[in-house]
Amino acid sequence: MLRSLCLLVMAALVGAALQPSAAEAQSFTRAVRIVVPYAPGGSSDILARLIAPKLQEAIGQAVVVENKPGGSGNIGADAVAKAAKDGHTLLLLDVGTLALAPSLFADLTFDPQKDLAPVGMIMFAPYVLAVAPQLPVKSVAELVAYAKANPGKVAVANSGIGGMNHVTPIRIGKALGIEWKNVPYRGGAAATRAVVSGESQVIFNGVSGSLQFVKNGQLVGLAVSGPARLASVPDLPTFDEAKLPAGDSGTWQGLMVTAGSPPELIAKLDAELRKILANPDIAQKIADLGGTVKADGPAAFKAWLAENVKTLGEVVRENGIKGE
Amino acid sequence: MDLFSNLALGLATAVEPINLLYCLIGVVIGTAIGVLPGIGPIPTVALLLPFTFGLDATSAFIMLAGIFYGAQYGGSTTAILVNVPGETSSVVTCLDGHKMAQQGRAGPALAIAAISSFYAGTIATVVICLLSLPLSALALKFTAVEYFSLLVLGLLAAVVLAHGSVMKALAMVLLGLLLGLIGIDVSSGAARMTFGVAELGDGIDFVPVAMGLFGLGEIMANLERPPVRQVVSQKVRDLIPSWADLKASFPAMTRGTLIGCILGVLPGGGAALPPFTAYAVEKKLSKNKAMFGHGAIEGVAAPEAANNAGAQTSFIPLLTLGIPANALMALMIGALMMHGIQPGPQIMTEQPQLVWGVIASMWVGNLMLLVINLPLVGIWVSMLKIPYRLMFPAIALLCCIGTYGIANSVFNIWLMLGCALVGYFFIKVGAEPAPLLLGLVLGPQLEENFRRAMLLSDGDLLVFLQRPISAVLLVVAAMLILVLLSPTVFRKRKEALAE
Repeated sequence: MLRSLCLLVMAALVGAALQPSAAEAQSFTRAVRIVVPYAPGGSSDILARLIAPKLQEAIGQAVVVENKPGGSGNIGADAVAKAAKDGHTLLLLDVGTLALAPSLFADLTFDPQKDLAPVGMIMFAPYVLAVAPQLPVKSVAELVAYAKANPGKVAVANSGIGGMNHVTPIRIGKALGIEWKNVPYRGGAAATRAVVSGESQVIFNGVSGSLQFVKNGQLVGLAVSGPARLASVPDLPTFDEAKLPAGDSGTWQGLMVTAGSPPELIAKLDAELRKILANPDIAQKIADLGGTVKADGPAAFKAWLAENVKTLGEVVRENGIKGE
Repeated sequence: MDLFSNLALGLATAVEPINLLYCLIGVVIGTAIGVLPGIGPIPTVALLLPFTFGLDATSAFIMLAGIFYGAQYGGSTTAILVNVPGETSSVVTCLDGHKMAQQGRAGPALAIAAISSFYAGTIATVVICLLSLPLSALALKFTAVEYFSLLVLGLLAAVVLAHGSVMKALAMVLLGLLLGLIGIDVSSGAARMTFGVAELGDGIDFVPVAMGLFGLGEIMANLERPPVRQVVSQKVRDLIPSWADLKASFPAMTRGTLIGCILGVLPGGGAALPPFTAYAVEKKLSKNKAMFGHGAIEGVAAPEAANNAGAQTSFIPLLTLGIPANALMALMIGALMMHGIQPGPQIMTEQPQLVWGVIASMWVGNLMLLVINLPLVGIWVSMLKIPYRLMFPAIALLCCIGTYGIANSVFNIWLMLGCALVGYFFIKVGAEPAPLLLGLVLGPQLEENFRRAMLLSDGDLLVFLQRPISAVLLVVAAMLILVLLSPTVFRKRKEALAE
C-alpha cells in the first residue's frame, strides 16, 4: 500500500519534471549578457559590474558584462536591439545619449523607442556647474552677467559633440540669451583638466568628476542640477533656485532589453533590479559614483525616454548640432 | 624630511606580506598578458576589477598597478622575439630588438630590456617622490597650444628615427595621419571616411594595425624564406649581455628614463611618445648611427627605459590632480571610486598610506619583475626553437584573439588581416611601418589640439609663438627640419646607409 503510494508520488513527480511548468517558461535558461556600449571603467561599466553578480544570484544563471564600445554607444545598443527577443541580452547605458541619438544621427540603425524595451532607470547623477578660478565670477548671476558682457569669449568645455553636457549649455545659452563658445574635448576627464588649467572656463560635469576640484579650490562650483541640493556641497543652489533652465540635466543610467522579449522576463528583471537597488551597499556605491538611485520601473522609464527624445531633439534641430 | 617619512610609510606598506603577495600576483599577470600579443592591460584590469572589491583598497591598487607595469615588461618580449608589438609602447622595441634576435642576440636584447626597465623604474619611483607636485603643475601648463607644438615635434622625430629613405618615412607619416582622420571628428561631430561603417566611427584602432603591419606582415615575409629562422634558433646560446653591451646601454637608459619621466606626466601623450622620442634622441646622439635599425642595443635600452619610466610617471597626474593621463589611468580612477575613494588633489593628504604604498610598491614590483624576467630569458629564447610551422599559426591565432578582445569586434580581426597584406607589401618595398603608426596615433590629437587652439584664440595663428613653452618646442622642431635638410646630413645618411 505504502509502496504503491510511493510509486504514485514518484510518477507524479516525474510527470511534473517532464512537463515544462508555466514558471519555467518564464525563467532564464542560459547565461545573460549585459552589454555596456562603452570602454571599461566608466560609470555604466562600474554599475554593470556591481549589478551583474547580484542579478546572477537572483536568477540562477551566469550574468556576463560585455563591453562593446564605439559610435557614441550606438554600436553596443544596436547589437542589443538586434539580439534574440528572449530577454537574455541586456543593455546598460547612459540613456541621455540614447535619447539624443535619433536626432543626432540621420542613419541610426535602430530606433531606441521601438527596438529596445526599458527595464528600469538605475541612477541619476546631477551636474555641477563649475568655472575656472581665474574667471571673475562667484555666482550664477555673475556668470550670466559676465558671459553676456563678453559675448563669444567664455569657453564651455564639453566631453564630446552631441553629449548631454554639450546640449545643456546650448539650452541655457538659448534661454538666457548667452553667446558662449562650446569647446569639445575627448571625454569628461580631458574637459575637466582644461577648465582646471584655465584653457576653457566653464564646465557642466558629474559630481564624481568635478566635486573634488570644487572642494579643493581648483574649480569654483556655482550650482547643481537635479531636484535638490547635494549633501556634499550644501552651499551650492540648484539650477532652479539659481534661475537656470535645464535643471533636469545630468547623467541618467538605465537598463534595457531587446524589444519583444517575454513580458514575464522583463517583469522579473524589473523586480530583481528594484531589489538590488534597494540594497544599501549598492546605494552607497552609487552615491560614490556621484548619483542617486532611481528605481521606478519600465513605465516611468518609457515616459522619460519619449519626453527626452522630443525635447532634446528640438534643441538639436534648432541649433543644427550634427553627430554625422 | 617629509620625503623620507613618506617613503618609509610607503615601504612599510608595500612590504606587508599581503601587499607583497598582491604585487607579485599583479606583476605575474602583467607579464603574462604582456607576452600574449594584443591582450593588453586595459581589458585585464577591467576584468579583474570586480575581484578586487573584497580587498583592501591599497592591496587592490598595488595589484592593478603591477599589472600595468608588468605588461610593459612582457610586451617587449614578443616585440623582440616575434616582432609583434602588443602595445603602442613596444613598437619601437621591434625595430632593433627583433633585429638583434635575428642575429642570434635575443638573450642580450631581452636582458637589456629587463635591466633598462628596472633601472628606469627605480629612477621613476624617486622622481615620483621628489617631483610629483612640480611635475603636475607642468602638466597643467600644457594647453591645446603646447600640445600641438609637442606633437609637431614628435612627428618630426618619427621621420628622423626611420632608417632608409626620408621620402618613404615622410610618406608613411602622412599615410598614418590620413588613416588617423578616419572616424568621427571630435571638433565637429562629422563622420569622415567611414563609408557608413559604424565600427569606423571611433577611428581605426591602433592594435590591429600594429599587429597586422608588424607581426603578421613579418610572418608572411618569413614564410618565403624559412631557412633564416633556423639561423636564429641556432645562435641563441649567449644569453647574458656582455660588459660592452651594458656600457653602451647605460647612457641610453639614463636619457630614455629622463625623457620617459617628463613625457609620461603629460596627459594625452599616451604610450607612444616616450619610446619614440627616446629612440630618436638616441639615434641622433649615438656614435654608431648606422647600427640603428640593424640591431643596436641602445635602440632597445632607450625606448624600454622610456616606456617604463613613462608608465610610472603617468600615475603622477592621477595621484596629485585626480586627472587620468591615459585610458588605463581612467580605469584606475574607476577602481578607486569603487573602493569609495574619491580621486583628486586631496588624495595625497587623505590617503597617504595608499599613495605612498603604491609608489613604493612600484619599486618593489620592478625588483620582482627583474628577478622573474632574467631567469625567464632563457625560456623565452628557447621558444624560438619551436618549429616555425607550429609557431606561425599560434601567433596568428593569439593575434586574432587579442584584436577581437579589444572591443569584442570581429571587424578588428578583418582590419588586422587587411593590414597584414599591406605590411607584407611595405616589407617588399622597404618602407618602415613605425612612422605610419606614430602618425595614426598622434594625428587625431594633432588635429584636435590645433582646432581647439584655433577655436579658443579666435583663429589667431600667432598664439603658437606667443606661448613660451610652445615657442621653444616649435623652434626645436624648426631646427630638426634644418638638420634634416642640410646637405651634410644628407650625405652622411647616404654614407651610413651604404655601409
